[in-house]
Amino acid sequence: MSDPRASLLFALADDELILGHRLSEWTGWVPYIEEDLALSSIAQDEIAHARMLLDILSVIDGRDPDALALGRAPGEYRNAILCEQPNTDFAFTLACHWLYDHADNVRLRALQESSFKELREAVAVMLLEERYHLEHADAWFRRLADGPVDARHRFGEALANAIGMAEALFEPLDDESVLVSEGILPTGTEEWHDEWMARIGGMLDEVGFDQVLTSQGEPETGEMVPTSTGEIESTEQIARRVPSSGAGGRRGEHSEHFEPLWLEMTALYRAHPGARW
Amino acid sequence: MVTAAHVREALAAVKDPEIPTCSITDLGIVHDVRVTAERIEIDLLPTFAGCPALDVIKRDVEQAARDLAPEIEVRFVNAPPWTIDRLNDDANDALKAYGISPPLLQIGRAHNVTCPYCGSDQTVEESAFGPTPCRTVRYCNSCRNPFEGFKTKR
Repeated sequence: MSDPRASLLFALADDELILGHRLSEWTGWVPYIEEDLALSSIAQDEIAHARMLLDILSVIDGRDPDALALGRAPGEYRNAILCEQPNTDFAFTLACHWLYDHADNVRLRALQESSFKELREAVAVMLLEERYHLEHADAWFRRLADGPVDARHRFGEALANAIGMAEALFEPLDDESVLVSEGILPTGTEEWHDEWMARIGGMLDEVGFDQVLTSQGEPETGEMVPTSTGEIESTEQIARRVPSSGAGGRRGEHSEHFEPLWLEMTALYRAHPGARW
Repeated sequence: MVTAAHVREALAAVKDPEIPTCSITDLGIVHDVRVTAERIEIDLLPTFAGCPALDVIKRDVEQAARDLAPEIEVRFVNAPPWTIDRLNDDANDALKAYGISPPLLQIGRAHNVTCPYCGSDQTVEESAFGPTPCRTVRYCNSCRNPFEGFKTKR
């Protein structure tokens, strides 16, 4: 049986690795130089964080960190599909960035209390550095939400397109109940989801973007149903809210955009196994 | 007999490759030094996890300690996290000498980071992301020079 800590580390590391790779594609193409530097620096940080996490995983898994980052088959990556989406337009990248960084902040803050010492130490470093990403994402959020009509419209649309995929960042992890019972996860992915939703919901409301959330499928019914023990409880407590789109990443099921990214990201590693740089 | 203090003294000569006026001991990068008869172990703290100079720093540290023991092991560790509280006064002077404004000792980066050229505190942050992960890009409204600031990572 595999170590339950591996499913958590793969999810965290792959989100950072794949997002970092995607963001690095902006280098040289961002509308202006300061922002080019910003997205490139953020990409660099994310890949460095992936490396920290894969270093920890390497001790559990036995494979070296490069093999873990670049030597796996596409179906073995556990990133949420939000992270692999093509950059298409700048507003979409910034929408994903904002949704992701708030989600990342919620889970990292929770993991500060993890019983898993090496992870807790890495998380302390990551939080100190992710702060700049979050400030950057929030600055763009305010700027585009207050911006000229076209900017506001495109950003709002991008948020609506990305939100379902962002919710899937909180898809349950393999062996999550074991992780929670051992204190490796101080709180579960469902609680993270709810905290994130409350946080971004408040910010979306403030700028009049509340339609971003209501555009997502049917609201929960909260219908009362009997359970196997004959008690009545609301469906809200039984049925985990399933993201309307974008789930599957944590099981290794990816969108059609993953494979081209993987082919490029791993090209050198596959062509020259064991190459050092 | 070589002591940890000797090793630290040797490491004081190692400069940050991206801030050549500044020693890695003044930057607080050297965390722990353990010395035995045949072995020296040195734990370093990255200022930022994504710092591209890490490999160069590691190599320079190995080089600087080479003559002190037959076996040297240098590694980067995550704990404790590096923060600006690890900088000493010499680091502040060395940063200024290189044209980088040292970090403020309080959170809140919007005001009163002084310009390393004219000393004015009429400066603004243009971007939190500079040429390296540890630096920001700022602008001085008095002498109208762009300059770099050290991030207040803490």
